[in-house]
Amino acid sequence: MKRVALLLTVGVSCFLAASSLQGAEKDVYIVGVDAAFPPFTWVEQGEFRGFDVEVIQAIADLEGFSVEFRDLPWATIITALAQGKIDVIASGLTVTCERDQVIDFSLPYWEVDQAVLVREDSDLNAITAFNGTKVGAQAGTTGYQWIEDNLVAQGIDVKLRAYETYEMAVRDLENGRIAAVLCDTDTAQGFVDAGRKVKIVGIVRTGEQYAYAVTAGDPYGLLPKINDGLRKLYESGVWAELVAKYFPGRPVGPVPLKRTTVCE
Amino acid sequence: MENFGFLIRELPWFWRGTVVAVEVLAGVIGLGLAAGLGGAVLQVYAPPPVPALVTALERFLRGIPPIVLLLLVFYLPWNLPPLAVAIVALGLCSAAYQSQIFRMAIQSIDRRQTEAARSLGMSSPQTILYVVLPQALRRAIGPWSNEFSSQIKDTSLAYIVGVVEILRQARYVISYTYGNSLLVYGFCALIYFVLTRAGNAALYRLEARLWVPGFERRGLERRV
Repeated sequence: MKRVALLLTVGVSCFLAASSLQGAEKDVYIVGVDAAFPPFTWVEQGEFRGFDVEVIQAIADLEGFSVEFRDLPWATIITALAQGKIDVIASGLTVTCERDQVIDFSLPYWEVDQAVLVREDSDLNAITAFNGTKVGAQAGTTGYQWIEDNLVAQGIDVKLRAYETYEMAVRDLENGRIAAVLCDTDTAQGFVDAGRKVKIVGIVRTGEQYAYAVTAGDPYGLLPKINDGLRKLYESGVWAELVAKYFPGRPVGPVPLKRTTVCE
Repeated sequence: MENFGFLIRELPWFWRGTVVAVEVLAGVIGLGLAAGLGGAVLQVYAPPPVPALVTALERFLRGIPPIVLLLLVFYLPWNLPPLAVAIVALGLCSAAYQSQIFRMAIQSIDRRQTEAARSLGMSSPQTILYVVLPQALRRAIGPWSNEFSSQIKDTSLAYIVGVVEILRQARYVISYTYGNSLLVYGFCALIYFVLTRAGNAALYRLEARLWVPGFERRGLERRV
């Protein structure tokens, strides 16, 4: 019994010591991804894959640090970073001012708008899809937020349903339970390309930017390395290769991008 | 159903998810068993105010949803690995429920047995250890198998803190194939069903093996 108590004491003090020792560098940085967001991040046969996974790995190689990927669901990923449970988020994360208050963003590397998805055989257009209808989006996403801020809050007659994943929203769309789904353009294209019975009828130009993010205050000085890494990747042409691999036909521009989201 | 191929390709990873789920289950059930049995003994035999304190803790743990407990433990200031978070949170929850199973079983043993043991000169711990618990634990197996079943199914909650168990593996497959949710979740249902049935079958056999003649037993009541 005494030995157990001793072990417990040693164990607990190790945890305390580990958590208070916030050194300037870590051997391995934990990169959080929501591995249910292709083509940016996913897991196939046990391996982390996707555009963001390859980009962060390439930046880490260039800048001389090591990363390990950890999968966390979207619901927990931002708070986990805010609390330092993970060190980086690389998972198609849109820069918003709300998020900016609890985490720090790198320079943006990607721009997306929101696509309006309807059933393949539907004759709704981008306007009629949001008039007197039920629509859906994944909870906690910028698509969901856009509908709430620009339609629901403005008194427009539209019922918004929250889904845990976009896949579920698209399924409900196919089954006729909702009339439209609003999601990031690349994700929408993914559903269309995969042969789901949906089509894109319009784009809402939100001009959102994706960026990588670190814990507030950047305790390990990763942001300059990530920004510099993005620039080097573009200059060496690796960036163009990765874009072509994951987003065939998409035009390639220089990164990092200029941030358009200005927060107070 | 033209594309069963991906499911077969992903089988090793579903197996991996199942192993992780069983790891979580073993930890949860183990922690719950130790803490639950200890809690039950304290609730029944410890001098005041211990039983009241244990009861308060048990009511608290039973009164909050396991998923909230998971998030609470996850956001503690220490960086526990996801598996440890899941085991601690779900284990505490299970301990609270298990303590009630064991308390019921202990209290179902006739009081006069305790009095007889004490009058023969056995100490209080001896009485608990050699007279009450061997009988109570046998009686607890039935209701305990119920808790075991619900814990298998509750391991699916662990994905929220980043444990890659069966459902998380399923989510991976659904998202990169942009669909097949019915098929994949159906497959998950099958895995959970097999796990639960196998676990319960083993517990029924254990119950039968440990049966003492003259003791009540599942299936015997109606045969007379």
